[in-house]
Amino acid sequence: MTEYLIRRTLQSVLVLLLITIVTFLLIHAAPGGPKTIFLSPNLSPEVMEQQAENMGLNDPLPVQYFRWLGDLTQGDFGYTFKNNLPVGDLVWPTLGNTMILMGSAWFLALVIAIPWGIYNSTREYGFSDQLASFIAYIGFAMPTFWFGIILQELFALKWDLLPLSDMYSMGKEGDLGDLVLHLILPVTVLTLGFLAGYVKYSRSSMLEVLDQDYIRTARAKGLGERKVVFRHALRNALIPIITILGLDLPILVAGAALTESVFNWPGMGRLFLQMATQREYSVLMAITLIIAVFVIIGNLIADLLYAIVDPRVKLGRKGGAGA
Amino acid sequence: MSDTAAPVTGTGRATAPSKRPPGLWATGWKKFSRNPFAMTGLVVLAFFIVISLLAPWIAPHDPARGDMMLPNLPAGSEGYWLGTDELGRDILSRLLYSGRISLLVGFSVAIGTVIIGTFIGAVSGYFGGWIDTIFMRFVDVMNAIPLLFLNILVLAIFKAEFYYMILILALTGWMGVARLVRGTFLQLREMQYVEAARAIGVSNWGIIIRHLLRNATAPIIVNATLMVGGAILSESALSYLGLGVQMPDTSWGLMLSNAQEFMLVDPLQAVYPGMCILIVVLSVNFIGDGLRDALDPRKKTVKPRRRLGK
Repeated sequence: MTEYLIRRTLQSVLVLLLITIVTFLLIHAAPGGPKTIFLSPNLSPEVMEQQAENMGLNDPLPVQYFRWLGDLTQGDFGYTFKNNLPVGDLVWPTLGNTMILMGSAWFLALVIAIPWGIYNSTREYGFSDQLASFIAYIGFAMPTFWFGIILQELFALKWDLLPLSDMYSMGKEGDLGDLVLHLILPVTVLTLGFLAGYVKYSRSSMLEVLDQDYIRTARAKGLGERKVVFRHALRNALIPIITILGLDLPILVAGAALTESVFNWPGMGRLFLQMATQREYSVLMAITLIIAVFVIIGNLIADLLYAIVDPRVKLGRKGGAGA
Repeated sequence: MSDTAAPVTGTGRATAPSKRPPGLWATGWKKFSRNPFAMTGLVVLAFFIVISLLAPWIAPHDPARGDMMLPNLPAGSEGYWLGTDELGRDILSRLLYSGRISLLVGFSVAIGTVIIGTFIGAVSGYFGGWIDTIFMRFVDVMNAIPLLFLNILVLAIFKAEFYYMILILALTGWMGVARLVRGTFLQLREMQYVEAARAIGVSNWGIIIRHLLRNATAPIIVNATLMVGGAILSESALSYLGLGVQMPDTSWGLMLSNAQEFMLVDPLQAVYPGMCILIVVLSVNFIGDGLRDALDPRKKTVKPRRRLGK
């Protein structure tokens, strides 16, 4: 176990290092190079050269890379062009806002999806099962942002029941009730996105377990259906669901760029888009890396949870259990 | 083609030669054509492809040129069946031309990802060793950055242009195919016929292309079909965000971002392009699922879907 944990962690660190290299090279592969990216285009050539020299942009690439990496490890993401703000100050508050939005949607989806999937597994191809698979098809084929726009048209503009966008109404910052009202529409959009996959997943996971010999044994010895499902099947069916939850953790941070921009939610995804149009590359690099860290941690947690919950998992397997 | 070389020995056969068993494609089609969802998807997709191809001839107006005298006509106006947008451009014509772009992106990205993914997966799975390690770590790296963010990042650094978008969607979407092909190859390369082929001196690439790839076609095709839908959704998202298709070209995503601005004036404008995306992607996904059921020999029945059809 310890050996597996160490190897898996080292592997994650390696992937993370590779990501920093890829991000770094991407910025340096841009047309015109890092000078056009980190320096304001309005400067005269002499001043630009001077600034480039000061910022070390004329140094060899590896030197620049390690300097950048060194700053990163101390939590220094650099500064924006505009107003020269520290990038961290800009990014961290939005992370919380994104997590409020995604966390609520995720939690809601789980609370609905897992019981629903289990119910459907006991009544295969019944009405509820077909409804779930209908929703899944629609959910996978519909542009989420379009669903958001339609909800806005109906609930905010036509019927005037809910706020159109943003996180708080003017002058009500910090008011919990107001926040909840603003959450309803975007959370509905995001929950539908999660729901489609989760119901399908918990259903198929449950069906697989219900097919096992020990379930037949349990039935044969005369246990009631309720006991068979909840006592014997459910526990084992939850194992793969836990893995999926771990793998989906990063979505909490990254999943909402579109929904955030439809509903003007002040989260990290919207910030990323704004900064992309303003060519604030240091912010883009910072957000990309933060998300990558979450993805890698999520994968690691999924693998480790899987190994802990299911003792049958062979830890020596290459690539990890969740791969 | 390889059949032509088979020598016909012996004359005057006593019994008629036994028929070749129906191949993968024949049995596949038989199952596929019995699946109502997949067939509906196929018909709908074919319809969209045909009207997109014919757009220059059947579109009633120039999609890019608006008539400033006739902005925001409601649906059902004379000569403008679905009305006009805020610049007086005919919505129906714009929908038709948008379909061209969306389908073009969908199919080219799917083909691109399959080519890249198959190559990387095949090399990884067949040769294994350090090549495999390097490629798979690379896949991990690519997977650790959510696609939408990666696409936005690249399009922002380079240039938001149509061809870039196709290229970037293909370059960032191949990981699933690569994993799939690698997995299949890992199994197949241990087969006896591979050993036999190697024994008679077939080169590595010969084995990969002639023997292994052929056996991996079915899952690759299923995956490619599902990629088409994904690519259309990505295109619409990027265009909606202003990083994809640019004016004066048009796409369903771009129309949606326009419609959101003028939501108060004409709410229906947002409905049409969204419905088009939904219907096309739904059809493609139905086809993909139908293909999966039809081509996967390991699956014994297609019961689920048929029962669903009732």
